Amino acid sequence: MDKWTYKPAADTQLQPLERLQSTRREAGLVSVGLHAVTTVGLRAYLGAYHRLRVIGRENLPQQTPFVLIANHESMLDSLVLISALPLRLRIETSPVAAGDVFFTNAVSSFLSAVFMNALPIRRRGVTTHALEDLRARLAEGRGGLVLFPEGMRSRDGRMLPFKSGLGNLVAATRVPVIPCHLDGPYRALPFGKSVPRPARITVRIGAPLSFEAQPNTREGWNEVVGACESAVRGLAAEAGRAE
Amino acid sequence: MNAGIEYLFSFRDALAQPATRVFLWIILGAFVAAPIVMLALHGRMSEATRRDAWVRYRTWLLIAPAFLAPVLFAPATAIVAIAVVSILCYREFARATGLFRERSLSAIVAAGIVLVACASLDHWYGLFAALTPLTVIVIAAAAVLPDSPTGYLQRVSLASVAFLLFGSGLGHLGYIANDPGYRAILLLILVSVQLNDIFAYVCGKSFGRRKLFPRTSPGKTLGGHLGALVLTTAFAAAMGHVVFEGTALDRWPALIALGLIISVGGQLGDLVLGSIKRDIGVKDMAATLPGHGGFLDRMNSSLLVAPAVFHFVGYALGYGLEREPRVFSSLLGF
Repeated sequence: MDKWTYKPAADTQLQPLERLQSTRREAGLVSVGLHAVTTVGLRAYLGAYHRLRVIGRENLPQQTPFVLIANHESMLDSLVLISALPLRLRIETSPVAAGDVFFTNAVSSFLSAVFMNALPIRRRGVTTHALEDLRARLAEGRGGLVLFPEGMRSRDGRMLPFKSGLGNLVAATRVPVIPCHLDGPYRALPFGKSVPRPARITVRIGAPLSFEAQPNTREGWNEVVGACESAVRGLAAEAGRAE
Repeated sequence: MNAGIEYLFSFRDALAQPATRVFLWIILGAFVAAPIVMLALHGRMSEATRRDAWVRYRTWLLIAPAFLAPVLFAPATAIVAIAVVSILCYREFARATGLFRERSLSAIVAAGIVLVACASLDHWYGLFAALTPLTVIVIAAAAVLPDSPTGYLQRVSLASVAFLLFGSGLGHLGYIANDPGYRAILLLILVSVQLNDIFAYVCGKSFGRRKLFPRTSPGKTLGGHLGALVLTTAFAAAMGHVVFEGTALDRWPALIALGLIISVGGQLGDLVLGSIKRDIGVKDMAATLPGHGGFLDRMNSSLLVAPAVFHFVGYALGYGLEREPRVFSSLLGF
């Protein structure tokens, strides 16, 4: 009889806190359930309070893996993008969140990991090594990512230039990148404010991009980032916003 | 209040049984003696062994009270604490084998474990016994629904073995809480099993040479196995005499048989987990308990002992036979 093959969770040898703060984390039954309930609640909130409008739903992925990217204007952004997905994909999706904001201690790490299924990224001194786990995660087809290539929230609502880390994640892979544009989060919850205003939020979803042909080198990353940035700017123009 | 519910939360006579107090003194003594022994052997242990021993000891100081307090407090808290440990053991097994990615099967195993605890709380032996085949049936049936036969047998086997070992097997410890004398019986099992591990380790280090299972567990030796068999059987038989004083079990042949079941079952449980780990290719099941590995690395020796001792004692004495069965389900009218 042939040997069975086992594929242990990538995080089995990590201690509990280390696991919450690791990009190798794989969600189990309890966190998937809590995350699902959270996103259903957030979807209802965004629909009722911000009259969320999704344009281009047909461009959303049908299966994992995928990367959703958008301009970054507020704390609401990743919630908006995740809410646009069908529940089946929502529970498989992780926002890539700033380690220095969402994973600073045990409590914030627990909340971010369990309720948002977020994965941390350190913004200072991000090495290619730090992105390897995320790239491997996508290569194995485990889940989708939501990330903001600007690397930080816009301070005035205008889009910042994209960073090259995104290229490192998807160059020379079949993982589709879905460019999105968010209009409204800045009016709802600008940088420095903590109580959202009932501003309308519109998310435009563009056609998926594939970067199989781009090499996984610095030149390839720049091509990826250039194409992604112009796709998001194109959606911004559709929204009537000159970014 | 209903007498059955009152029983579940009866904590006043938690320490009334002399045997319970004897066990607590033994545990306390072990916690005091361990650092003294480690200091005495300071020069004879390597730096790595010494550090490992201290880390293990510190973890023991946390997990022993965390588990024993609810087990001794009241029958209801004991059943819940054992169900929580079952779930934690299942979680480690599922994550190590990859079974956790099969979410619906995982949910069924978890629901099975919760129902076993409910049957114990209800004092409904019929349901408790029925849950073993019924959960396995539900697992086998649910796994056909996604219409993807590739890997069917592996998924169903892993989920069934997991439920049998952690849900049904460990769940027997919870059902024992239906007996008013449950505290002493559970302590007899838990303390003897852990001592069995320690005896095997110490005897193996002192005069063990021949390896019996070099591929499964290269650290184990014939000397360790035999030493543990003699010492644990003697300990469990002597303590069994205190626990079961004046009952049908209070005869030396029966007490020695009980001790042999605990020692042999404990060592085999250890080897069962060793085989599982070798097969998967991991050293520890998790890294949750510093120095020990995961919860399963601590509970492994109880996996087989729990149902074996349950039925040995149950055959002779039964559990809570003088109490009304079906505390909650009878109130619901079915």
